[in-house]
Amino acid sequence: MVGQAQSRMNDTELIREAQRGNAAAFEELVRQYDSAVLRLAYHLTRSEQDAQDIYQEAFLKAYRNINNFRFECSFYTWIYRIVTNLCLDLLRKRQVRKEDSGITADSEGGTYDMLDQVADVRSGASPERDLMRRELGARIAKALTKLTPRERMVFEMKHYQGLKLRTIGEILNTTEETAKNTLFRGTQKLRAALKDMR
Amino acid sequence: MNCEWVQQNITLYLYNELADDARHELEQHIARCKVCAAEVSEQQEFQVQMGALPVEEPSASFLAAARMRLQEALETAEQKRAWYHRFAFDPSAWLRQLRFSPALASLIFLVGFGGGIGAMYSAMGKGGPTVISKPRTEEASIGGITSIEKEPGTNNVKVQYDTRLPASVEGSVSDPKVQDLLLYAAKSNENSGVRLNSVDALTSKASDPRVRETLTYALRYDSNPGVRLMALDGLGPYVKDDIRVRNAVLEALLNDSNLGVRSGALHALNPVRADSSVRMALQQLSKEDPSEYIRTECQRMLASMPSID
Repeated sequence: MVGQAQSRMNDTELIREAQRGNAAAFEELVRQYDSAVLRLAYHLTRSEQDAQDIYQEAFLKAYRNINNFRFECSFYTWIYRIVTNLCLDLLRKRQVRKEDSGITADSEGGTYDMLDQVADVRSGASPERDLMRRELGARIAKALTKLTPRERMVFEMKHYQGLKLRTIGEILNTTEETAKNTLFRGTQKLRAALKDMR
Repeated sequence: MNCEWVQQNITLYLYNELADDARHELEQHIARCKVCAAEVSEQQEFQVQMGALPVEEPSASFLAAARMRLQEALETAEQKRAWYHRFAFDPSAWLRQLRFSPALASLIFLVGFGGGIGAMYSAMGKGGPTVISKPRTEEASIGGITSIEKEPGTNNVKVQYDTRLPASVEGSVSDPKVQDLLLYAAKSNENSGVRLNSVDALTSKASDPRVRETLTYALRYDSNPGVRLMALDGLGPYVKDDIRVRNAVLEALLNDSNLGVRSGALHALNPVRADSSVRMALQQLSKEDPSEYIRTECQRMLASMPSID
């Protein structure tokens, strides 16, 4: 808690400096959050290129709008709000194009199968178990694409990123109650889609 | 509390999102209700199953590539903003710009002192007297045309332009005015010889965060490997205490196109080789780097790492 308050205080100072035009202060803010932003964007998009685009666009938006930041929420919530909006836009576009399959694109534009991304790093894993686990990973990735972008986002932030539902509601500009219901719906859909794998 | 309520809240229970009293009641309920207890087990199994799609930390090289792209985009955005501010008058930005603009500073100097009080101005600095020569107005050149307006119905036009005046400053690197000029030259000069000399002079003042920021910039973006190496020399002693320096040196190790800079970065990182991001990079490079020297050195550094009990 003390650490959080300390980080918030440091953020406040850095934001004020960035608002005065101090580029180094903004860069420091980026360094504090960029790894988490890239991790979220990559896990959601499963594409290095898309994740990098979202990462860049998010921080550029933050840079352009830093003077509009009024300290009504934490920088963490603010930057996550920007990132999730960009991710939601991308997921919606993908749904329209129906292009989101198990095949994704790497940074060079080449494609690879999602199965390759799901390796079993546990010691003593046999090749058969590894293959099964990779298959399951690919099925999960596909099942996740069947959720609505908002269900996907809430599930991602809760299950994979470990955020509290209250924070998720704040990031998505909604209530904690709505975030709870969305999580419930998403979980039910995923369980139904993966039932035969258990 | 009935089964319907419990079944709708098991997800929240397993994600630790239930209030303490509701959690207690739910636990009491599943202790006596087999159907709900089975549902809890199933959902627990589901959560374990979802772990088959792990969340991986972005690799050091992936993160470094994203950071470099962002830095370029931010530079462009900064330049655009500066261009806008030339036309939309903003006193604070104007004053900031003044700090780095020797020609403009000289012009203000001229206005402030009536343009001819003395031929020489001296100020005492920590490292000795700083000597600022009077701008040579007869050598003024056109710095850029800012607007051209035609007077309607005549052949007259009004041309507004900036002028550049040659001037010089002599003094210690510790002098703020000299330091501002060196910082400006290290980032902005088109002549790599000038950049090299300014970075060289600044390395002795790397204890100043502002100087380190400029040296970091030079290490990341200067097109001349000599300048990058010089910046690396100045930054080396700060890899332990300044995380931004460490990240920049790590990026140089992973991405610099020059082998000399990369091996310099590798040695600079030796004192922090146990740091997780450095260790990951060393492990990666010890296996995959195209340079045999880098691979061998990484293996050597990894082997000399103290074991963790």
